[in-house]
Amino acid sequence: MDAVGLSDAELVPRIADGSSEAESELCRRMAPRIRLYGLRHLRSASAADDLVQQVLLKTLEALRAGRLREPAKLAPFILGTCRMTVLDLRRTTHRQESLLAMFGNHLAPPPAAPPSVDEGQLARCVQALRERERSVIVMDFYDEHTARQTAAFLGTSEANVRVIRHRALKQLRTCMEVAR
Amino acid sequence: MTVQGRAKDDGQAHVDPVVLMDYWLAALSAAEEETVEEHLLACDGCGDRLRDVMQLAESLHELARSGTLQVIVDDDLLRRAEANGLRIREYGPPRGESIQCTVTADDDLLIARLALTLSTTSRVDLSWRDLQGIERQRMTDIPIRADAGSVICQQSIIWAKASPTTSRVAQLVGVDEQGHESVLGEFTFHHTRTIPGPPGWTEP
Repeated sequence: MDAVGLSDAELVPRIADGSSEAESELCRRMAPRIRLYGLRHLRSASAADDLVQQVLLKTLEALRAGRLREPAKLAPFILGTCRMTVLDLRRTTHRQESLLAMFGNHLAPPPAAPPSVDEGQLARCVQALRERERSVIVMDFYDEHTARQTAAFLGTSEANVRVIRHRALKQLRTCMEVAR
Repeated sequence: MTVQGRAKDDGQAHVDPVVLMDYWLAALSAAEEETVEEHLLACDGCGDRLRDVMQLAESLHELARSGTLQVIVDDDLLRRAEANGLRIREYGPPRGESIQCTVTADDDLLIARLALTLSTTSRVDLSWRDLQGIERQRMTDIPIRADAGSVICQQSIIWAKASPTTSRVAQLVGVDEQGHESVLGEFTFHHTRTIPGPPGWTEP
């Protein structure tokens, strides 16, 4: 069977058996997923790209060596590798050039998606929110204001701030979809 | 609950976009975050939705910093804006008094600081009126703490830069549970247009 039609778990034994096609397919699928993890934790596109490369290298090494005994646990395995690698990346910016030279042809990150938010409509939708919701949105997104700071301003609990933010975001999504 | 049981057309449960936004904002517990991350490493559909969430977050970030929204904020946000190099023009007339004000092309944020003493935490509205007392706009149930001492209202800098010379009265209005209103404070702003060129509109 073509590697493209296999599940993530089904790729694992194929890689252990030396299938380069399965390796390529795993990299194609996992690179964008790992990059999202990197963007969330490293807040940098270039650092996220480094993370993709390093995690895929470590994953391929482990799978080639048959160290992942339960293929269904591929996602938790990669998540654990992401965590350890982020810790490493935070300690050092040194890149593993030698490993890259070995596996680099599998590791080109996908191009970044172009912005798709209608800025003018978003401003109208935010202005249409209730006062409390608009204040929470502006303060939360200004520069990652913590829920505790916003809660102190509103004189309410962090849980309530989260509820207000959820309600506002749902209303924003509806408003943006109606405008499309 | 992080991974919501919303059946999609592929029969798989997916993460609610609101939860994805909490994830992006680092507002989930460690256990919730782990559940979401494991799901994201196996679900490209949720990955696509997270990218949409990230774009929305970035757009909201830009919008929040643009000064174009009319919104009630706090001193902490003004401190952060100043630290980020934004130029803030602030007017805070004493209660019952008026102040001459303007805005220049270089200003980034326009702030009205309205002194307020609250004895209760009842609803407070901010009513914007003309000099004839006609209400032009009402900001209903503004966020305010009883001990805050003032209301900080960011006015749209875009609106202010396009505005002709005009006057506005800001009234803080207390509204009790029966809907009865009482004026808690009144502040008059006489705006003089100093930016060259015609304004974006004329007063009726």
